Amino acid sequence: MNRSIVSMFLFLIIMSISVSAQDMNFFEPRTEVGAYGELHLNSVKPENAQTKSNLDFHRFVVFLSHSFSEKWSFKSEVELEHNFVNDGQGELELEQAYVNYHYANYFGLQFGVVLPSVGLLNEFHEPPLFLSVERPDYHSKIIPTTWFGNGAAVYGYYEGFDYKLTVMEGLDGNKFDYSSGIRSGRMKGYKSDASRMLYNARVDYIGFSGLRAGASFSYNNAKTDSVSIPLSLIEFHAQYKANNLVLVFEYGNISYGEGDLKASRGFYGDIGYDVGKLAGWESQLIPFFRYTQYNTAADTEQGGSIEEVYSYAKWMIGVSFLPLENIVFKMDYSINSRELDDFKTSQFNLGVGYMF
Amino acid sequence: MYLKIFVCLLFIGLLGEVFAGNEIREKSEKIIHSRFGESSTFELIKYQISDEIKSQIENKCGQRFFKNFVYLYKIKGSEGEKAFALLDNVYGKSMPITFMVIFNTDGKILTSEIIKYREPYGGGVASSEWNSQFIDKDAGSSFEVGKNIDSISGATISVRSVTKGINKLALLIDLIKEKI
Repeated sequence: MNRSIVSMFLFLIIMSISVSAQDMNFFEPRTEVGAYGELHLNSVKPENAQTKSNLDFHRFVVFLSHSFSEKWSFKSEVELEHNFVNDGQGELELEQAYVNYHYANYFGLQFGVVLPSVGLLNEFHEPPLFLSVERPDYHSKIIPTTWFGNGAAVYGYYEGFDYKLTVMEGLDGNKFDYSSGIRSGRMKGYKSDASRMLYNARVDYIGFSGLRAGASFSYNNAKTDSVSIPLSLIEFHAQYKANNLVLVFEYGNISYGEGDLKASRGFYGDIGYDVGKLAGWESQLIPFFRYTQYNTAADTEQGGSIEEVYSYAKWMIGVSFLPLENIVFKMDYSINSRELDDFKTSQFNLGVGYMF
Repeated sequence: MYLKIFVCLLFIGLLGEVFAGNEIREKSEKIIHSRFGESSTFELIKYQISDEIKSQIENKCGQRFFKNFVYLYKIKGSEGEKAFALLDNVYGKSMPITFMVIFNTDGKILTSEIIKYREPYGGGVASSEWNSQFIDKDAGSSFEVGKNIDSISGATISVRSVTKGINKLALLIDLIKEKI
C-alpha cells in the first residue's frame, strides 16, 4: 500500500512538468483573502425558568488561498469561535488547509485538512447561505458540522452530477454519547489517529436550475479503548432555491455496530419565500418556517425511556433580510419540545452575518 | 481495500494529464463548428476594448474586465448566416473562469458556454441547463441572480461572477457590433 502512495506522488510530480503549452493561457498566480463571520443574540427560556440572554460573536473566519498554477492551488480556513480562547472557552481551529490539484471540471484532488461531504452545510456554511440565526440543530446533533480532518479527497462535476470522495482521519469512539451522537468523537486534526480511516462518498444532482439533491454515505470502524465501533452514516439532502422559493430538506441516520448506542437520526425541512424579490426590491426578505426532529439516542441497547430523553421536536419561524447578497440580518423564534416529558424551551435569536 | 480503490481512482483520473493540449481554443472552435456546421468559417481577432467603453460597461455591471481585450470570433455559418462569439474570463473565488458567448448580429445571445472551470467548487455553472437561462438576452435585458437568473447551491460566487461577465459581453457586443 505504501508503495502505491509513493508511486502516486511521483506520478504527480512528473505530470506537473509535462503540461502542454496553451495559446490562450489566462492564468496568473494570485493570492486571495476571504472571510465570513456572525454575531448572535440568543435569548433562551426553559419552561418554569428565567430567560438567559447572551451576545456572542460566534464565528470569525478567514480564508487564505493561493493559486500556484492553473491546476495547483492551496486553500485554507482558520476559525475563531466566541471571540476569545482561554481554558476550554472559545476555539481556534484550522478547518481547511489543503493542496488542490484541479485536473479538469470532472476530476480534482485535495490533500491536507479537508471536509467530508455530508449534508448541505458541512462544506457551505457561510451565514447568508442558511436561513436561521444559528445553524440548524440537525447540523449539530446528527451531522457534526463543521466536520473536518486530515486526509485526501477526489471531487468533480460531470453532466449535472457533482461528486466527492473523502478518506480522512476516523472518529474517537470513546467520545460517542447519547446526548451528542458522534459530535464529540471528531478529532479535528489534532494528532489524529491514522489507523482507522473514515470513508465518505457523496453524489448530488445539480443539473436542474436552482436544485441540489443528493446523498452521502460515510463509514468508519471507530476505535475505542476496548472495542471497535463500526459506524455508518447515511444522509439525504435536497435544496431548491429559485422562483423566489427556498425549500430545504435533510435526513440522516447514524448506525453504531457496537456498544449501548445503536442509532442516532433526525431530519428538518425549511420553507421560505423571498417577498423582497416579489415586491421588486434589490434586497431579499425571506420569511421562513422550519420543522426539526432529532434523537441522538434513537435506538439503544437498553431501550425504554432513554430513547425519549434525547428526542426533540422543534418549530421555528423567522426572517432573513439580505440588503446585499453577502450580508444578512436574521431573526427567529422557536419552541423545542422533549419527547420524554414534553418539556419546552423557547428561544429568540437575532443575528448579523457576512461573507466575501 | 477502500484505500486501494481510492488510490486507483487517483491514477486513472490523472492519466489524461499527459495528453492535455490547447484545449481552450480547440473547445471554443468545436462549439462554433457544432452550432454553425463543419463548413462554417471564422476569423479570430484579439479585440482591444477602448478605455471609454471599458469603463462605461464596468461601472454598469460592477465588475472589471479580465484584460483590456477579449477574443472575438467573426463567424460565417454553413448557410451564410453571420454571428459573433466573444471569449473572456471572470474570476471565481480565486481562479479565472473562461467562458464564451455567441451572439447573433442583433446582439442577442444564442448560447453561452463555460470553456474552462478551474475551481474545486461550483462546477455546476458549466451545466447547459443553467447556461440556457441566458438565451435570447441582450444588452437591454436584466441579469440579476435570484430574480431572472437562478443560483446554484455550492456555486454562489461563480454564478454571480459569470452572470456579470455575460452581461458585460452583451453590453460590449451591442456597442461594437456595427463596427466589426
